[in-house]
Amino acid sequence: MSPADRARKALSRLVEASATERILISSAALVLSVLIGAVLVLVAGRMTSCTAGEAVYYFGTGFCYDPVVVFDRLFLGALGDPLSGGWSPNGQFAITLRETTLLLFTGLSVALAFRAGIFNIGTQGQMVVGALATALGVLWASAFVSGLVGTVVLIPFGLLVGSVFGGLYGAIPGVLKAYADANEVITTIMLNFVATGVALYLVSGVFKDPNSAANQTVPLPEFAQFPSLFFGARQDFSIVALGFGLVAIAALYYVLEHTAFGYDVRTSGVQPEAAEYGGVDSKRTIVASLALSGALAGIAGAMYVMMILGTFQTGIPDYGFDGITVSILAGNNPLGVGVAALLFGVLKSGTTVVQFATDVPPQLVGVLRGLIILFVAMPEFFRLLAKGLPGQWSESEAVATDGGVAVDQGGETDE
Amino acid sequence: MSDAAGDGEGGFVERYSTRALFAGTTVAAVVALLVAGLLFPDSLAGTLAAVLTSENTLAAALRLSVPIAFAALGGIFAEKSGVINIGLEGLLIISAFGAVYVTEVTGGVWVGFVAGVVASTLLAALFAVVTIKFRADQIIAGLAVWLIALGLAPFASQVIYNSPNTPTVQTMGSIAVPVLEDLPFFGALFSASPTVYLLFLAVFCSWYVFERTAFGRWIRASGENPKALDTAGVSVTHVRYAAVIISGVLAGMGGAALSLDLGQFTGNGPTMVNGKGFIAIVAYLFGNYNPVGAFLSTMLFAGLDAVQTVLQLQGIGVPRQLIRITPFVVVIIVLALVGRTQLPEAAGDHYETEE
Repeated sequence: MSPADRARKALSRLVEASATERILISSAALVLSVLIGAVLVLVAGRMTSCTAGEAVYYFGTGFCYDPVVVFDRLFLGALGDPLSGGWSPNGQFAITLRETTLLLFTGLSVALAFRAGIFNIGTQGQMVVGALATALGVLWASAFVSGLVGTVVLIPFGLLVGSVFGGLYGAIPGVLKAYADANEVITTIMLNFVATGVALYLVSGVFKDPNSAANQTVPLPEFAQFPSLFFGARQDFSIVALGFGLVAIAALYYVLEHTAFGYDVRTSGVQPEAAEYGGVDSKRTIVASLALSGALAGIAGAMYVMMILGTFQTGIPDYGFDGITVSILAGNNPLGVGVAALLFGVLKSGTTVVQFATDVPPQLVGVLRGLIILFVAMPEFFRLLAKGLPGQWSESEAVATDGGVAVDQGGETDE
Repeated sequence: MSDAAGDGEGGFVERYSTRALFAGTTVAAVVALLVAGLLFPDSLAGTLAAVLTSENTLAAALRLSVPIAFAALGGIFAEKSGVINIGLEGLLIISAFGAVYVTEVTGGVWVGFVAGVVASTLLAALFAVVTIKFRADQIIAGLAVWLIALGLAPFASQVIYNSPNTPTVQTMGSIAVPVLEDLPFFGALFSASPTVYLLFLAVFCSWYVFERTAFGRWIRASGENPKALDTAGVSVTHVRYAAVIISGVLAGMGGAALSLDLGQFTGNGPTMVNGKGFIAIVAYLFGNYNPVGAFLSTMLFAGLDAVQTVLQLQGIGVPRQLIRITPFVVVIIVLALVGRTQLPEAAGDHYETEE
């Protein structure tokens, strides 16, 4: 059985599992990951050195890093310290919303492909392509307009450019999969490397800003960037972009659930053979879903350029890979992506707070990301765990709520 | 889509010939280049021919292929047993860091090497438990293994050395076989890092295990027809655990060899492993799950990489940033040409023992 078929099976199990169970599993995965992260922080705190005064003591042992402080900063710090009074939406909270906005788009990008039974690991690369195209396109167009008109014209134009180029780049693995049977997991990962390499080449050469030491394009004029309405300019957050994100959630939900295209996508995701019998052109659906997925990633890139950086610079953060976590955590449901994106927005924004307040390396969040994916991928683990805890899920319920009933009953009789 | 297995019989010849065609074209192109180079030594073809026939190129290709080929061998074991291990990249990363860290602490290169292997094996064991016992989706769990290692290694390096890059430690050095090392061109085979010899050994042993031992047959059966294996009284679960753990050991050797060859672990961005684990997957797919085939296709990728490095040093041709992406582009092209590969029938499926 090919990876794609398995993806579909895994997917159908995720989709069919009841919403409650999915929320329970996602929450449990999150809690467990944080616990393991805490242990990791303690262990790391033993491996580094600090003065006795800086150390914290648990169980009679001194540690250089305090996990309580780390997770306090990570979560509360990211929300702008709502518990300590004098909360303002303008501080770290705005940064959290900013990160959430980008993760909404990368999360939706991965989720859409997933629903079609395709693993799009290439969201990162598609985002890079979209971001570079937007920076260059808007820079070119900004010569013709200015002022408020410029903003009103250039922002939709930039989003369009980002989505078109991201979409085209996403269509490549789609075509390779549909017409050459090339496994999309590998091709999208390879295309990530290609996108980063080509972007580095272009931005360190032809399109390099001559006035900057960094590998970046000439900065966009102020009017070509998202306006920071209601929020401080320093946080680089625009409520307009978040608004676009919420519209995208609603739109994707509508497209998936209430349109013919969405029906094609969902059926080819869950039951490819049935979809073929039902007259769905599977090749076309594969290319279209990956192109649309790439377009969403491209919009994330466009927003990164027009809202956060104001230019294209090499070394775009891992929004694409975080999008995978967001989507898996959300059970590939557009509405769930909203919640999961906020959660990961907190993690991303909290990382900088942690970095500022403690010596704990920021790569910790990368580890948490991996752990969360790992735990969400194994609902079976939590079912076994739940069976061990009296008064939680009853055994029959655990079976009944599962999508892969037949397989699981086999497991059940083993006990 | 899943009827791909059904058309396996008819499609095999077709697939096989695509491979043969690709390999044949490559050989023909190389021969043509060599002849052209011989006739016109001053042309670009002449330079390329000189690069291709240089002993240094072969040495570099061998060195570059070590991590990829080890990981590919590991991938063959896991996938043949029915567990797709897409986390090879993560195993390479964790062993590359572990090896340098322990070498730095103990001062022993071989102690470090073993430690790298242990680190990778432990992570592979975790992957095995998660996918086999807890029946996690193999692709998602493999992705998680990659992302965990991608975070963990630079995290540990930052904690210990205050930088995502480790300090430099001593390297493996090289072992030369007297007389044979003086051979023209092929001398590179006999004056190489010990890990290169280890790789030759591993390729041979893997081939031997699959072709000549009962264990090799069990692994194949576990991936192709687990029910039959179960009926024969061999535990599918045990075979799969063993295969995944072997994949951890082999990938660990690759990762440790990679970092100890350089004497440093660099953890910025995609780390020093930089996609080698994924290239390894394509290498064994292209090598049709055969250890020798996987080694040869790795040599193809690594040879390409070696040639571009030499050309770069000579200041010829395409800019550095573009040359760097050639292996990735080649992987995509190869995958598009080979198309659907002959995945073991039951790869990716959980197997439930029946009463």
